[in-house]
Amino acid sequence: MTSPALKTHQSDLELAAAILARDRKATARLVEIHSDTVHRYVWRRLAPNVEMVEDLVQEVFIAAWRSLKNYSGEASLQTWLLGIARNKVEDHYRGILSRPLADLETAADEMPASEIDLEAGFDAGRQSERAAEILMKLPYEYAAALRWRYWENRSAREMAAASGRTEKAVERLLARARQKFKRLWLEMGLEPEGRA
Amino acid sequence: MDDLIRKAEEFDPSEAKASSRLKSRILTKLVELEQAEGPLRNLSESRDAGEQLCVFEQALAMLPSGELQSKNPCAVCHARILGEKVENAPVFWPGCAYARYCGH
Repeated sequence: MTSPALKTHQSDLELAAAILARDRKATARLVEIHSDTVHRYVWRRLAPNVEMVEDLVQEVFIAAWRSLKNYSGEASLQTWLLGIARNKVEDHYRGILSRPLADLETAADEMPASEIDLEAGFDAGRQSERAAEILMKLPYEYAAALRWRYWENRSAREMAAASGRTEKAVERLLARARQKFKRLWLEMGLEPEGRA
Repeated sequence: MDDLIRKAEEFDPSEAKASSRLKSRILTKLVELEQAEGPLRNLSESRDAGEQLCVFEQALAMLPSGELQSKNPCAVCHARILGEKVENAPVFWPGCAYARYCGH
C-alpha cells in the first residue's frame, strides 16, 4: 500500500516532470501552490525589508526551476523549495554580516545586568507577536544575526566562518543585539496595550 | 530571552502571504526562462493533462500541434500586465493563472 506521503511526492514528481516539459500551466500551478509558503518563510526572516523579500522569493523559484531536474521526489516539493529558500536566506545573512558594522559597533546599548522576568504578563501567542515586532524594529544587522543564530540554529563559530568575521566579533554582535532586544521588550512592556 | 527570540518565528501575520503581483511576476519570469530553453509545451497537451486553459489558450489549442500552439498569448494579454502591476487586479478570465492569483 502506498503511504499518503509517497502519494504526495508522486504528484510532486508529476508536476516537476510537466514543468521540465515546459508546460506553462504546470509552472503556474507550482507558483500558485507554493509561493505563499516560500514567501512566509522568507518574510519572517527578512522583514521588514519587503522589497528584498520579494526579490529573494523570486530568486528561490528561479533557482528551483533551474535545478528541477535534480528533484528526486524523496522530499515533498514544498520541503525541497524551503531548502532552497533556507540557503538563499543564509546567503543573505552572510552578506549582511560580512559588511562593515562600524556604526553599530560603537553604538552599544548598555543595560544594567538585572534579573527581570521578560516573559511575565504575556501569553505565549502575544509573546511571539511582540518578539516578532521587536525583531522588525531592531537595526537590520542585529535582527539578521539573531534570526541566523536562533532560527537557523547556527553557532557563533559557524556564523563567523561563513561571514568572514571573528568568532569574538560575532559573539559581541549577538550580545549587543540581545541587549537591544531586551531594551525594546522592556520599553514596549511599559506601553499601554490598547486592546479591547 | 533566547526562547523569546525563538518564539518570534511562530508569529504568522497576514502580510507574510505572497502578493498576487509577486506571483504574477514570478510566473512571467519562469515562462520567459522556459521559452529561452525551447518551445513551450503544446496547449492541447497541457489541456489533455488536465490543465485549465483560458479562452485565448483554448483557441490556440484548436490549431494543429506545432509552433502556433507553443505561442504564449500571456505575453500580449492585459491580464498578465494587470496581474503584475495591480494587487488583486480585476481580472476574471476563467482558466487564467493571473486571474487565479488575484483571487478570481
